[in-house]
Amino acid sequence: MAQYKPSEVRQAKGQTAPQEPNLVPIMNLFLTIIPFMLMFVVISQVSLVALNFSQGEGGGGSGGGGGGKADQQKVEIHILGKAYKAANGFMGMEIREPGIDTKQMAAISDAYDFVALDRVLKDVRSRKTSLTDITVLVHPDVLYGDMIKTIDLCKDNGFTQVHYTRPKVSYYY
Amino acid sequence: MNIRDRLRSTDKSRRKVRRKFEDVKGLSITSLLDVLTIILVFLIKNVSTESVKISAEANLMYPTTITNDALLAKAGTTPIKIFPDKIIVGTEGLQYGSPAELNQNTEKREQLFQYLKMEAQDIIRNEGMETCLIVQADNSIPCGYITEIVDAATSAGYSYIYFATLEDADWLQKYNVSTTQ
Repeated sequence: MAQYKPSEVRQAKGQTAPQEPNLVPIMNLFLTIIPFMLMFVVISQVSLVALNFSQGEGGGGSGGGGGGKADQQKVEIHILGKAYKAANGFMGMEIREPGIDTKQMAAISDAYDFVALDRVLKDVRSRKTSLTDITVLVHPDVLYGDMIKTIDLCKDNGFTQVHYTRPKVSYYY
Repeated sequence: MNIRDRLRSTDKSRRKVRRKFEDVKGLSITSLLDVLTIILVFLIKNVSTESVKISAEANLMYPTTITNDALLAKAGTTPIKIFPDKIIVGTEGLQYGSPAELNQNTEKREQLFQYLKMEAQDIIRNEGMETCLIVQADNSIPCGYITEIVDAATSAGYSYIYFATLEDADWLQKYNVSTTQ
């Protein structure tokens, strides 16, 4: 016959191990979420340089420079490549403004002088404070990196509407 | 309690032996949980819910720029990746061919134009968004190819062209140093 022992039950209660939170479901949740998020994570520092070709903004198309601005305001940067050098003996960049002499920035050992370009753009900016449009004419043999650097300097100097244009190239040797 | 009871209670043979707690076996996962929590917070911060995923391609040398234009909020985008030896078009990553074919092969150029036109119309009709082309090209690609693509894209109805670059606020200073050296 079983004997009633209240003290034994009380003692047994006191001897149970301290309860730890059950972390296994949380672990399972994390192990499910993390691979899923890793698929969508973007760990890159890719930035963007935009050209606006929409109708209202005055184009920028490669066909003809676009823009409804007056010719007096039109500033063009010509990036001249090696093919131009072979034909005309000059490689570098030219800034053409109506009414002002063309500024030439010669390439230094086939590397474009972006420091000089930045200086000239700052000068244009100081003279034409409200001008936001600028046209970049790129010869076909100019490298993409040099074209992007030119557009970048234009944008950095406040020319937010950069028009990208293909020049009508014909070399005569 | 008399002395006999006392002696009986101190008798070792009759002493009740308490069972020790069983040792906890297995690894402690608390530290692992801490690590996972840190990773989770980092991922939540960096996760992109945008429909456009612009990830840097390992084989491309991106040009560096000071400026960084934000992508339009309501933009339907088509990526085009121009490697020195191949061109990959669209979100499906379709193989187009080599960059040289853009200038030499009229049929291929027409194919690109038709594809971009279809994509642009699809964006306008189904999504009602602005059409954007994201050009990811290598530093050393001649601009003649880029111009062909920009030409085709604008003719196909793309309003915005974005060029993917790497942001570097000091590239002009670095360039200055490298050219003077």
